[in-house]
Amino acid sequence: MKRSIQVVICRICSGAANVLDTDKLLRVASEAPYVGSAIAVDYACNTKTIAQIVEEAKDKEIDRLLVVPCSKNEVSPALFQSYKRKAKINEFLMEAVDLVSEVVLPHRDEPSKAQAKAEAKLLAAIARMAMLEPLQKGSEEMRTKNVVIIGAGVAGVEAAKRAAEAGLHTILIEKSDKEVKAPGVVMPRSRLISAKGHAGNYELTIEAGEKMEALECGAVIVASGGDWSEAKGPLVRACPEAKPLYKLAQELSSGNIPKGGVVIVDTPDPKADTTPAQDFAWEEALQCAIEIKKRESGTDVCLMFQEMRALGLAELSYKEAAELGVRFVRYDKKRPPKIDSKDKNRIVVIDSAQEQAIAIAFECLYYASIAPNPDNMAIAEALRIPMNDSGGVRRGSMQKGPIATPRPGIFVCGSAQFPRSEEMSRLEGRAAGALAAQFVSTGTVEFGGSVAEVTPEKCSACLTCVRTCPYEAPFIGVAGKAEIRLQLCQGCGMCVGICPSKAIELHNYTDDQLSAEVASYIGGDF
Amino acid sequence: MAERNPKVVGFCCEEHGIECANLAVRSGKQYDVSVRLVRVPCTGRVDGIHILKALEDGADAVFVLGCLEKNCYYDTGSIEGRKRVDYVKSMLSQVGIEPERVEMFNASSSMAWKFSEIVSKMTDVAKRLGPIEPRGDGQ
Repeated sequence: MKRSIQVVICRICSGAANVLDTDKLLRVASEAPYVGSAIAVDYACNTKTIAQIVEEAKDKEIDRLLVVPCSKNEVSPALFQSYKRKAKINEFLMEAVDLVSEVVLPHRDEPSKAQAKAEAKLLAAIARMAMLEPLQKGSEEMRTKNVVIIGAGVAGVEAAKRAAEAGLHTILIEKSDKEVKAPGVVMPRSRLISAKGHAGNYELTIEAGEKMEALECGAVIVASGGDWSEAKGPLVRACPEAKPLYKLAQELSSGNIPKGGVVIVDTPDPKADTTPAQDFAWEEALQCAIEIKKRESGTDVCLMFQEMRALGLAELSYKEAAELGVRFVRYDKKRPPKIDSKDKNRIVVIDSAQEQAIAIAFECLYYASIAPNPDNMAIAEALRIPMNDSGGVRRGSMQKGPIATPRPGIFVCGSAQFPRSEEMSRLEGRAAGALAAQFVSTGTVEFGGSVAEVTPEKCSACLTCVRTCPYEAPFIGVAGKAEIRLQLCQGCGMCVGICPSKAIELHNYTDDQLSAEVASYIGGDF
Repeated sequence: MAERNPKVVGFCCEEHGIECANLAVRSGKQYDVSVRLVRVPCTGRVDGIHILKALEDGADAVFVLGCLEKNCYYDTGSIEGRKRVDYVKSMLSQVGIEPERVEMFNASSSMAWKFSEIVSKMTDVAKRLGPIEPRGDGQ
């Protein structure tokens, strides 16, 4: 294979000139094997400079590019694009070496050592670049541009509205037959049974009434929500008249105001043995307290909490409630509030702000309690996405966004990611709608590139890769050997690292390439 | 004889590990020049052979820096990476090489302070233990 590398060092942006000797770097680079051309430019993002670099690449029949830019994430896309189009270089044969973050910034005080390190780093990158192989990406048309939303609660309806604003067809799946005001199609009394396919082309099986229906869609939003629950805890058992918070909200909306003092506790189980403290319910609790105080200012209202998390604008409700005279008592879960054994209408608690026990008389006791949707398990199982400890659907890494699941094309919003407050659900619903719309409206899904590939001769079909992959990309094919579904592979290389027969390789991160880079990097003495 | 420069190799995952290092240096942290960072797509990609080859090629200490286990970009990658590192450590102790030369760390891309701790810990190990001595008994 003919290999000719062009090394481009950006003098100004890389800041290298301050610490490093770029001429020496260029000399070292040009003497390295397979380097066809090495140039230093002043601004590698300048259009004229790019044209000049590309001209040189064409003249010298360059087939791969190594650029030393200001930072790995800030390489001018124009540089790579013009290389791809004009010099016809494969996009996987272009890489950036981040000398700034790895050498210039951390070793400013030791210029001579930094120079040696920069040279070693550059040579290691050249050694790696010489071994890279050109790769192709595949793409697939989306068959439909539907977005399926599971659950027509606060989050689901909001997601449907946002996706519809972006011009997409939305299908809402709702298990009850409640009236739903949302754009697109609403399927009442239906639930998700199973799902096949991959991002962009999911095939869902829906049970609608008595019939089974097949549904194709580009993206799925899980908005299964939570349920108000009447979960009981020690506090509630001691005071049988205690009611869940949603009953208070219902009473208030129908115009009844509780008589006498009101105490709202953040959980039915203050010791948190069974139910964790329901921090997210504070918005509703604050709203109820304000409502009572506004209508009947003489009523004593006391909120008892472990930690107040009034998010965003709810902070204003917190302030308003405090101004109206609502009493806030903070307790520690090691010293939980207890009902007075002599008087059923008195609650005794150690206020952690004042470090002293106080007794509060009440007529009505309410507790915040929301349970995760019991259907979450079935939904997660059908869509093959993980669940979190509290019974909700778990989101993926925060870098993929707060509402993305590990599987591309599946989003989760609202109380499905148990627990969430109503305002938060609404916001997350909008975000999920927007992201699903962004994902689907491209109309094509790209896959392939730097992904894993199995060498069938080496495979012993031990199923290790099948078990390890979080995306379920490997499977045992008809030949009895492992195969990788390109559309599902994300290119993490977990199967490659774990394969006991070394039958899988991750393109452009093969064992040889990594070892060559490491060996060359260690070789430098500094 | 001039003092030998220690050599530390760090396999960093592209999503969190290397970003953690970048944030650290961009917020003004300086670290030892002997540290060589190598990008891998995910710490699950790191195989025992890479760590052992690095030690064979002359590294005094090797660390693997991946995402936080509950916030891994590839969901379970850093858990797999830790298993691999633990396996290498057990192998090293069997052949009589100090297992603390190899270590796995987790950090998110915003935990810049953690990167300095990791690097100073590993360079200390490299300086304290020095180059790997071949065993004299011919085993």
